[in-house]
Amino acid sequence: MKQKFMALMMALAMVMTAFTGCSSSTESTSKDTTTENTASEPTAAETEESTPDTVYKVAMICDSSIADGGWGAACYNAMVAAAEKYGFETQYTDGLTSADFASSLRSYADLGFSLIFAPGNQYTDAVVEVAADYPEVSFALLNGTVEADNIVSLLPDAEQIGYMAGALAGLMSKTNQIGFIGGMELDTTKAKLASYEAAAKAVNPNIQVVSAYANSFSDSAKGKEIADSMVTASDVDVMFGDASAVDSGAREALANYEGRYDIGQPSDLLATQESAVVISSVVTDNATLIGLCMEDVKAGTFGNKTIYGNLSNGTLSVGTFSDAVPAEIQTQYLELVDKIKEGTFIQ
Amino acid sequence: MKSNNKFIKIAVPVLAVLLSFLVGAILIACIGGNPAQAYQYLFKGAFGNLSNFGETVVKATPLIFTGLAATFAYKCGVFNLGAEGQFVMGACASIFVSTTFTGLNGVSLLIVSLLSGVIAGGAWGYIPGILKITRGLNEMIVSIMLNYIAILFMGFLYTGPFRDGNLPQTAAVTAKLARFVGNTRIHAGIILALVLALVLYYFLFYTSKGFQLRAVGLNQTASQFNGYPVKKLMLLSFIISGAIAGLGGSVELHGTQFRLMAGFGDGYGFDGVAIALIGQLNPVGTVVVAYLFAVLRAGATTMQVGTGLPTSVIDIIQALVIIFAVAGSAFVNLPHIRQFLANLSSKKAEEV
Amino acid sequence: MEVFLNWNFIQELILSTIRMATPILIVALAELYSERAGMVNIGLDGIMAFGALIGFLVSYSTGQPLLGVLAGAVGGIVINSVYAFCTIHLGAEQIVYGMAINIFAPAIASFLYKIKFGISSSLAQATLMQEMPIPVLSSIPVIGKLLFSHTPIIYLAYLLVPLSYVFFSKTKAGLNYKAVGEFPKAAETMGIPVVRTKYLACMICGALAGIGGAYLTTCYISTYSDGVVSGRGFIALSAVIFGRWMPGGVLLAALLFGFTDALQIRLQVLNSSTPYQLLAMIPYLCTLFVLAFFGIKKAGPAANGRPYFREER
Repeated sequence: MKQKFMALMMALAMVMTAFTGCSSSTESTSKDTTTENTASEPTAAETEESTPDTVYKVAMICDSSIADGGWGAACYNAMVAAAEKYGFETQYTDGLTSADFASSLRSYADLGFSLIFAPGNQYTDAVVEVAADYPEVSFALLNGTVEADNIVSLLPDAEQIGYMAGALAGLMSKTNQIGFIGGMELDTTKAKLASYEAAAKAVNPNIQVVSAYANSFSDSAKGKEIADSMVTASDVDVMFGDASAVDSGAREALANYEGRYDIGQPSDLLATQESAVVISSVVTDNATLIGLCMEDVKAGTFGNKTIYGNLSNGTLSVGTFSDAVPAEIQTQYLELVDKIKEGTFIQ
Repeated sequence: MKSNNKFIKIAVPVLAVLLSFLVGAILIACIGGNPAQAYQYLFKGAFGNLSNFGETVVKATPLIFTGLAATFAYKCGVFNLGAEGQFVMGACASIFVSTTFTGLNGVSLLIVSLLSGVIAGGAWGYIPGILKITRGLNEMIVSIMLNYIAILFMGFLYTGPFRDGNLPQTAAVTAKLARFVGNTRIHAGIILALVLALVLYYFLFYTSKGFQLRAVGLNQTASQFNGYPVKKLMLLSFIISGAIAGLGGSVELHGTQFRLMAGFGDGYGFDGVAIALIGQLNPVGTVVVAYLFAVLRAGATTMQVGTGLPTSVIDIIQALVIIFAVAGSAFVNLPHIRQFLANLSSKKAEEV
Repeated sequence: MEVFLNWNFIQELILSTIRMATPILIVALAELYSERAGMVNIGLDGIMAFGALIGFLVSYSTGQPLLGVLAGAVGGIVINSVYAFCTIHLGAEQIVYGMAINIFAPAIASFLYKIKFGISSSLAQATLMQEMPIPVLSSIPVIGKLLFSHTPIIYLAYLLVPLSYVFFSKTKAGLNYKAVGEFPKAAETMGIPVVRTKYLACMICGALAGIGGAYLTTCYISTYSDGVVSGRGFIALSAVIFGRWMPGGVLLAALLFGFTDALQIRLQVLNSSTPYQLLAMIPYLCTLFVLAFFGIKKAGPAANGRPYFREER
């Protein structure tokens, strides 16, 4: 009995340390949170200045994490940047499963958010369903194809994105083997893959494209393994990905080899971090796209349109080049991008 | 004595829930949040208005099915960790029927489709069952493997043969379960779920087959000795358990989501197991606990939206409910504690 | 076809197999120690997630991946102590507690990550553990690169297999340990401390599963993201049953998983016209077929999963 009591106390102590350990670590880090709160206050103050009676609020839902170093992060940063410019308060929910899309949208609508940003066409159903019940709330659907009184689709041109990545990959590849990793078989992903391949072959007819799907946006270990196998089995030397955190894994694998490169998207990776692997990025300026929605919300003209993101209106652009890209290839590439912009690259 | 027992059976989960909320509040306060405000949003999100209440019922419906599936298998002493796979396969079968038998209309299509879900779920439950009784394979590992296969198979369907146009998802089913409460999303599936719970309750506790099944769950050797067909009963319970989960998938498809896409059925199977165990392996208890989980889920969304706290807080609370509730009921069942409680109640009786 | 016979391809396939099998092997060994003492723990996925986070945090802030792995082990023990206390002392259902850990631990991990890094959306990266080629041995042609040029954790994992075999089959302590899982009451009468052994089992299980999780974020990839474990814990659980509760069998099972997974990735890369879902099924289908073909007549430790009460005589 005594022994049992001892064991019980030991377990209790363990649990206690677990809890106290947790609380002390939260205390030490809670400062970060508070500083962030204060940092966001000026935005709120600005809002009050510009629009004394209404506070505009924008929310984003996301099925991956906003700290995935890829898609989720880029979309979240875009919303925050646009919100700062137009004086919106921001809020987000990440890590959602498909069953929760609609209820999350509803909650935001119920709580008086004026604009809800759904960054992907997988949210289409949920947005359409909820938008019908909340006519006074505006919905922005990235990569969407629907328009309604309170739904605006934001559509970065997947074909141009694919062309841009493919052209650079084609110019840079020395082994004539280039790779592509998709997360899920989304339509935009398939379009990017198709135009990536077409562009690379237009630049260099000997190019072979190797592609794979990770069946995940979060399994970065799988991304690493796929990239590894692409390099070793097919001698791929330039890669492009459409799979969020999986892409980060792929970049880690490429870093272990000499002369293997990756093209980033949708943010300008080299502008914020150093990398020996990333040679450039195809940049989608989601902030401008969302900003246009915010303008409409404020002006009361929101709805019934699709805002396209392409090279012509500057919402697609070429990111920072790394030193690995020789100057002549840079100029050659920028010429090609001009052709893509004019629509004369591939007829 | 019996009433005392019943009281404890109910008091323990209630206490567990309260305790979990208390710990959750401490956690929220730790990161500089306001627990009172957070919980206010939680309840607003779950019961604030009719449509919020509707959401809790909608979320509870699939959980009731997977919870019942787990309960039924457990009662016969087999672990069905494959409810998620059976749920998904049920939905897959329904999509197949809905898109293939276009000659049928409305209600008849719906019935055929739901039945196909039942059959597919049952068939998917048959595999671990038959492998267990003929090859001696552990049913847990087989059913987990089958979960992965079912989910990948569903992925194949919505990106391949049943892909609908632009998106990696199937077309929406045309036959939908009726929605009958105002403008909420509450659909006829909840009635099916509740009726099923009552039927299972009756079957398990008031029929001789049900008794045999429970006997196998309690003591296999004794059941064998009594001449019960142990293996047959195990297989049967696996098939029925799978069929329940399959029906759940089909109902979720026809009542809430209408199409298959990535993430369909994610986590329902494992939640179902937890629900069944907190519900004391009683179909009625399962329904109650499934509803509690749904309230937490639905409220969590609003709480997260309203306060900006991470949703993982609610996951933690939900896990704590499981930890406390099950620990509590195990605690009061410890031999010397049971003795102590019995003494306590008899003393009370003397005083009165 | 010729691509499969290419030596470079085979070598990379083997290396990839070893890398992918390692976390599964470590965690399967964790479960083996747990189940040998009669404790079925299906919360491996959760423990791994927590280990992955703690390992990442420590390696991120100290720059020492090895410390991260150690911290991952401690984290695993702490989380698993919840399971240990409730199942051993209260005799609660082990499956439920595994399930509870699977919900609890990833939630805590995600919560701590959010607290540490706030709502910043930049990806935090830690240093990865360096490979440590074993002097002499790694210069042996062919085998040297395949077997002796890895991170220390991989050596540890594969070293644990023969050590565990010796422990369970050749030492008195190991036999006593096994007795706890087979006949706890008989073990008690023989003076074996059943409860203490069960606690020890849970600590070993927590530590190893934590290391398995930390391996992912300190040796494999340098970032943490929710869902990084991706069901590897359940695969490990299967590997124990598949390996018939023997260290050698567990090793084989982990290697089979690693191999089929590595192979399916390469098949995808080489043949992108086949739907990837069908290829991704290979590891699971393979397991099922192998299992169904050989069957398992032995159901593992006799008292596996049963609560043990000393008072009940």
